[in-house]
Amino acid sequence: MAKSALAAIEAALRARKLDSTLTTARPVLETTAAPSAVERLDRCLRGGVPRGQLSEIVGPRSSGRTTLLLQLLAAATRRDEIAAIVDTFDCLDVASAASAGVELDRLMWIRGHSSPASLVDRSIERALKALNLVLQAGGFGVVAIDFADAPLAALNRIPFTTWLRIQRTIEGSDTACILVGPRPLARSAGGVTLSLTGCPQWHGVGDRSRRLTGFELVVRVISPRRRTGGEVAISAMSFES
Amino acid sequence: MFGALRSIDGPAPDALLEVAADFTPRFELHVPDEVVLDLAGLERLFGGPHTIGEELSRARAERQLRLRVAIAGTYTAARLLARAESQEDIVVVEAGAEAIVLAPLPIDLLMVIENAEPAPSHSRTFAPSHLVVSTFRRWGIRTLGELAALPVDGVAARMGVRGTRWQRLARGEDPRPLRPEVPKERFEQALDLEWPIDGLEPLSFVLGRLLEPLTAHLERRGRGAAVLHVRLHLVTRTIHERSLQLPAPMRDVRTFRTLLLLDLESHPPSAAIDRVVVAVDPTPARIVQFSLLTRPIPSPEQLSTLTARLAALMGEDRCGSPVVVDSWQPGVFAMKPFNPGSGIGDQGSARTPDAQCPRSALRRFRIPVPARVRMEHDKPQHVTIDRAAAHLGSRIPDPGSPIPGSPIPGSHLGGCVQACAGPWRTSGHWWTDVSVPRLLLGTPRAGSRGVARSRCEEWDRDEWDVTLSDGATYRIFRERAMHAWFVDGSYD
Repeated sequence: MAKSALAAIEAALRARKLDSTLTTARPVLETTAAPSAVERLDRCLRGGVPRGQLSEIVGPRSSGRTTLLLQLLAAATRRDEIAAIVDTFDCLDVASAASAGVELDRLMWIRGHSSPASLVDRSIERALKALNLVLQAGGFGVVAIDFADAPLAALNRIPFTTWLRIQRTIEGSDTACILVGPRPLARSAGGVTLSLTGCPQWHGVGDRSRRLTGFELVVRVISPRRRTGGEVAISAMSFES
Repeated sequence: MFGALRSIDGPAPDALLEVAADFTPRFELHVPDEVVLDLAGLERLFGGPHTIGEELSRARAERQLRLRVAIAGTYTAARLLARAESQEDIVVVEAGAEAIVLAPLPIDLLMVIENAEPAPSHSRTFAPSHLVVSTFRRWGIRTLGELAALPVDGVAARMGVRGTRWQRLARGEDPRPLRPEVPKERFEQALDLEWPIDGLEPLSFVLGRLLEPLTAHLERRGRGAAVLHVRLHLVTRTIHERSLQLPAPMRDVRTFRTLLLLDLESHPPSAAIDRVVVAVDPTPARIVQFSLLTRPIPSPEQLSTLTARLAALMGEDRCGSPVVVDSWQPGVFAMKPFNPGSGIGDQGSARTPDAQCPRSALRRFRIPVPARVRMEHDKPQHVTIDRAAAHLGSRIPDPGSPIPGSPIPGSHLGGCVQACAGPWRTSGHWWTDVSVPRLLLGTPRAGSRGVARSRCEEWDRDEWDVTLSDGATYRIFRERAMHAWFVDGSYD
């Protein structure tokens, strides 16, 4: 009975061309990937972040989300691809991006506004529209949208169909779309979710000699359909060192 | 057959060109007081050379100009004859008789002809024309006929290439073909509307109708548009004018229409429109060499459309490529238009990092977030940050005033300091007169070469890196002049 019900649901999804949301009904995806140039992570991801899919980098504050995002952007721009970042709340530090190795000439930076709390929803809505425009234009290797500092309540108000629509926009394209947020939002079946935790590394004992040298990042890879997974530890140096 | 018109009253290029254009489209203005006409084919229209000369004379009289007209088989002969002192205002020489007619003319006439021609690149070291003439005079040469009669080998041996060139001119031979003036084309289309239109939707149809012939014209001439102008004549008798600088030469109707409509959306006309004029500044068309080895990037048309759409959505200066600024000022940056095809390698990363060891990044609050910091033994012990402000930045409070917190309980971030490093004192731009409030690293301003950079402002602060009990690591600083603490950003 359960099997027949499942089959009926899958058939209905297929009829509406929504079967890409299924995690089990389709074979393991063999898509091209956008490598991060961090060997251990790429090995775990089977080459990198999948193209034509919506992937996520999630974690709490200071978990290394921006570090990993800039690493992906740097790798893409070094491959002569062009990349775009929709910076919802205008938090990108240009010095950090340059230090990460991003070829800034090849990066399109779409800056949102540091708007009052009452206008957060509007900022998010605009950022999503901007993301849609960039994805529809095509030709970008990596496109990222940064919701890392967005309040959870505001993110929860985004309709789930938004992510489905974004997924459909990039399906079959060469673009890897990356969503950075405090927790998984899109949960795309074809993409990967990189869940991060970070631990700051301090060096020196004395008050004056002590300094922040970097972060130890632990990346947990969650991928429903690509049959990849595992944990990777990465050391990130301070961008000023 | 060529004709030369020379103004006796001095330079009158416009009048000369008007007369020339009445007879033939092929004419060249050599010097401001002289124009040369290609008269080939005019015999069928007017008759023989004498009749053409009379017609030219009539045109001259109609415009009340004092012109000398010369018609000859070569334009050099015609020019020399037009410059020669003569009783007659019209001189006509049969084809083949140029050398005979030119022979008695003084050699000085060649100076004017020679000086009007641009010197060839290899003749930079040649002596000025008057020195050449004086050389010929020392040889006893006074007329063009005497110069033409000299043996070519001897002239070449003594005077080089220039000597033989002068000799050819003396015989009335043309040094090069005539270079007709190309009429200045206007790439402009206009439409007077029967009824005034209000709103962008009807205007889009009008723009489409105007842009199609305009782009076809550009295509025929192998040109692209560098700047797109639109002039809207409004019913209020005012003109609403907009100009769009295009990132690359283009001639795509849809792109033009989209760009214009997006721009007019942001800058709408104040009243209904009753006349639309669209014009472009032409430039040589773009030639694209595609490569099998490099990844294709979106075309300039696609990118400019995307940029215009994003600018309409996010704001004029909110989209582009970031540029690192050579400054110690915290958070300073610049922006330039996104154009990945133009400046590859111009500005790369500051350094090539070790890919296996990424660099940690700072998430910078563009407007520093006020914080309350409790110090013990000159070290921060506890930091409190307003949650809403930490998400989005907030206004800078007056020193000593409480943090603008939300009334919701638990709306503050922060906690006890688990680890910290600092302080690092930095200061700068204290030597400049600052009339704007400090700390506000606002919208970058447009500068040279399309690069907009954020303001240079005075700063003087002690920075700390702190890891709080909430697990996050922040960069905080104490603004020394204001004695206030702020959060600069969070490491992420």
